[in-house]
Amino acid sequence: MNTQNLNTPLSATLPPAQLLSQPWSHDSQITATDALCRSPNVVMQPERLGAMHQTRLSFVRRLLRKIDRESWQLTKHVWALSPEGFGHVIYRLTTPNAIYHLVVFCNEIADDERNDRVIAQKWDVTFCLVYGEVHEELLQQLQDNVPLQEAGRNSNMVMVLARANKSVRVFDHIVSSLAQGQQPDPEVLAQVGYILRTTAVYGNGKFGIYDFTPLKDDADFGQSFSVQMCAVYLLKQFSVDWVDYLAQQRGGDQAVSLHPQLKRYLGVGNATGLGMAPYLITHPCIVDQWLSTRERALATVLATPITPEPVHYLQKLLSRAVRHLDETVTINEPQQQRNAQAVTELTALMAGFKDEKPAVNGNGITGGNTDGNANQNAMALANADTWGAFLQAHNELSFEAQEVIIACLMELYPEQVDAFEDLMNTDENLELPKGKTIADLIEVLEQRYAWAIHTDFDSGDNAYWFWYRSEDKEEPRLGIRGQEPGVDKELPLDIARQVQRLYTALQDTDKSQTIVAFILKHPKYRAIARRVWTLGHRLMGDIQMNVLHKDALPMHLLRCKLSMFGATKFDPRSDRWVRVTLFQGAPLFDEIHSDEWLFPLLPTRADLNADTFINADIPVASPLVSANLGAQS
Amino acid sequence: MIVSHNEIVTLVNKAFLGMHRETGEADLIANMVAELQMAGLEGIRHFNNASDYILTEQDAPIDILYDGVTEHAGAQELLTSTTIVFDVHGSSIACHLPAILDYALERMTDCPHIILDLHNCHNRWLAYGELIKLASKGIACVARWDNGSAPKHTLFVLNQGHSYPELYFFDDNPSSDYRTQDLVIELSLLNFDLPTYHRDDYSHRISSEQIIELHQQAWKSGIYVDDGEWQTLKQTATNILVENSDQSRQGAGGV
Repeated sequence: MNTQNLNTPLSATLPPAQLLSQPWSHDSQITATDALCRSPNVVMQPERLGAMHQTRLSFVRRLLRKIDRESWQLTKHVWALSPEGFGHVIYRLTTPNAIYHLVVFCNEIADDERNDRVIAQKWDVTFCLVYGEVHEELLQQLQDNVPLQEAGRNSNMVMVLARANKSVRVFDHIVSSLAQGQQPDPEVLAQVGYILRTTAVYGNGKFGIYDFTPLKDDADFGQSFSVQMCAVYLLKQFSVDWVDYLAQQRGGDQAVSLHPQLKRYLGVGNATGLGMAPYLITHPCIVDQWLSTRERALATVLATPITPEPVHYLQKLLSRAVRHLDETVTINEPQQQRNAQAVTELTALMAGFKDEKPAVNGNGITGGNTDGNANQNAMALANADTWGAFLQAHNELSFEAQEVIIACLMELYPEQVDAFEDLMNTDENLELPKGKTIADLIEVLEQRYAWAIHTDFDSGDNAYWFWYRSEDKEEPRLGIRGQEPGVDKELPLDIARQVQRLYTALQDTDKSQTIVAFILKHPKYRAIARRVWTLGHRLMGDIQMNVLHKDALPMHLLRCKLSMFGATKFDPRSDRWVRVTLFQGAPLFDEIHSDEWLFPLLPTRADLNADTFINADIPVASPLVSANLGAQS
Repeated sequence: MIVSHNEIVTLVNKAFLGMHRETGEADLIANMVAELQMAGLEGIRHFNNASDYILTEQDAPIDILYDGVTEHAGAQELLTSTTIVFDVHGSSIACHLPAILDYALERMTDCPHIILDLHNCHNRWLAYGELIKLASKGIACVARWDNGSAPKHTLFVLNQGHSYPELYFFDDNPSSDYRTQDLVIELSLLNFDLPTYHRDDYSHRISSEQIIELHQQAWKSGIYVDDGEWQTLKQTATNILVENSDQSRQGAGGV
C-alpha cells in the first residue's frame, strides 16, 4: 500500500504554488473571472484532485435540479419479477422533450460469479436506458443482449448500457428485516451505503449503442455524462422498489416498506478501477473544461465579501461534513487517516466560528481571542474580507479539509455557482497555431509544463510503470518496466515524458523557426506539440502528473472524475480501484427538490421514528437562495 | 453489420497505436476513417489497405522538392499561386497530411492560392477527413488523384459555405500526366470555379447533399460496415493487447 504523504508533490521541480494568483497566464484573452481563479499549479496537482468532493456543479446535482425544474415524471411501466425477484422491470421516464425507458434484468447468479472487475461474465442486475418506446421486438432484443453486456450487440436506441451487483449483506439484511415488519439496522446500511453497486456504465456508442455526438445540443441530456447519471439515479429507485417487493413477497401482510429516510440514504454503489484513468489523460480538453468551470464558479464565491448569514450556514455544512467523514467506512488506512485528519481540522475550524468575540472585520464578522487553533481560525475569519482570503488563510490544512471547505463554500451562493452548470462541454480539438515560433512553444512549455520538462526519465522511479491493455477483456493495467512483459505495447499515456522529449528536442532548434515548419521535419512531435499548445492556452490545462512515476497514484485520477460525477464516500480498495456511492442522500424521484444534499448522513433512530423526512438539524437550502428559486423548489 | 461512430474511432485508434509508428496521430487517423465510413466511402477498407503500408514504412520526414511561385492561366487573367512539391517517400498520406496542411495554411497568410503536389504517397482517400475540416476554416479545397484501376481519376471539390464536398469519379484517364502514386491538393481563399472541374465525362458523382443525408442516416440508425473488413480491423486492433497472466492480473490492482 502506498502511503505517500499527500502534501508532498510528486515532482520536486514544481514552482511554489500560489493561491489566488495568476503568474502562470500569458494569454491576453483571459477574462476578469479567469484572473480571479487559482493557479493551475495549485488546482491541477494530483494530490489535490485526489481529495475532491462532490459540489453543486457535480453532474448528479445538476441532474436533480433539472429534473425538479422541468418536472420530469417516472412511473413503473412493467414489473415482471418472480417471487424470488428475477425477471425484468421497465420504468418510464417522461421529460418535456421525450420519453425514455429504464429496462432492468434481474438474474440469478452464484456467489462466486459476483465480481466487480471488467473481466466478470455475469451480474445480479443488468440494465439499459432506452430512447423512446420499448416495443416487443426491442424488448426481446434487449433480453438477449443486455445481460451479456460487452459480449452482446444492442440497438442504437439504447443510450446507456450498465450492470450492477448486490451488496449481498445489505440486500439480505434489508429484505429479511422488512419481511419481518422491522426497519433494517441503520448501522448495517452505513457500512456500505447502497443496495446495488454498478461496475460499468457504458454510453456513447459502446457495443453498438447510441452515439453521443448528436446529443451535444439535446435539451435533456446535452451535458457531460448526464444520461449515464440519469440511468444510475433510476437504478437507485429500482433498488429500493426491489427490496420492498421482495419483503412483501416473503413477509406478506407482516412486511413493511423501507423507511423513506433510509431509501433516501441508500445510494448506488460504484466500483471503479484503473480503466477510468486513461479517460482523464486522453480527454485533456474535457478535464480542463470541468476543472476550469469549477474554478470559475469558485472564483465568484471567493471574490464575495463575507457576511454573517452565510457564515452560519457554512458552520452547519461543515458540521455535516464532519459527521459524514466520521460515518464514512473505508478499509484503506491512508484514507482513514485523511478522513480523521480532516475531521480534526474542520472541528477546530468550527470551534473558532463559535468563539465569537468583539473583533470585527469590515463586513461585521467577529473573531475570537481564546488560545489554540480555534483562536487562529476565528482570527482568520475575522481578518478575512472575502471567502478568498478565508480560504487562503486555511491553505495549510490537509487537501481533504480544504476540498471540504471548497465544496461547502460553493453551497453558500447557489445562484452564482449554478450559472456555470451548463458549461461543462467543450471542443476537444488539439491544434497547432499559425505563425508561432519555437520560442513561443518553449515559453508555453516553461510556463505551463514546468512540472514535466525537467524530469529525468532515465531515472528508474520517474519511468517505473508502463500502462497497457490486457487481452483479458482489454482491461487497462500497470506493469513494472524492465520486470514485466508488454512494454513493447505500452500505451501512450506518458504525457510528462512526451512533453520532456519535445522540450529537449526544441533546445537544439532555431528558435525563430515556425512550429509548423519544425513539425514538418519532426512529425513525431506533432501530437504532443498540439496538446501542449492547446492545453497551455486553456485555463487549467493538463493534470500535472507523471503517471509513470513509481509513487504516482491512479486513485487521484479516479477520484477527480468521480467527484465531478458527484460521488461520495470514497473507499479505496487499493491504489487502483475504489468504491463510492452515487446519489446517496439524494431525494427520491417522488419527492425531488433542487435543494442541497451535500455530504449524506445516516438517519438516526430518532429520525426514523419522526414523522418528518427532513433532518431538522440540517438546513436544506442556502439562506441566500432567492425567493424565486426557493419557490421553484 | 451496424456499428457506432465511437466504435470505429475507438477501434481504429487501437489498431493504429498497435502499429507503434512514431509518425501519425491515432486520434486524427481514427477520425479520417470514421468520416469516410459515415459518408459511405469505405473508410475501414481504406484503413485496412493502409495498414500494410503503415506497418512497413519508415518513420522518415517528408521532403520539400520545390517551393515557389507559379503563374497559370485563369478565366480572364494570369493567376499567381504558390506551389509546394513534397516527396512523401511512399508513406501513407494518413500519417503526414495534418502536418502538410498546417504548413500550407501558414503559407496562405501570404498567398491566397496554394497547390500542394504530393509525390509517392498511398491511401489518398484517407485525406478526405482532414480536407473536410478546412470548411470550418473558410478555405476552399480541391483534391485530385489518379488510380491504377477504375475509377481512373477522383476529384474532390469543397467550396466555402459547404460542410461536405462534391465528389466526381472518372473512368477514362483524364490527363496525359497520369500519376497513380501522387495527390494534388489546391487550397484557396476564393471558391473554385466548379465548371472548370465539372466535366461532362465523369462516370459517377456524389453530391454534398447526398453525403449530408448519409451522415444523418448514420447518426440515426448506425453505420454500415462490411463484416469482413470489420473483422480485419478488429484483428489489427488486438496487436496492442498484452498476453494475460497471473502477474498481469495483479496489474489492475483488483482482488
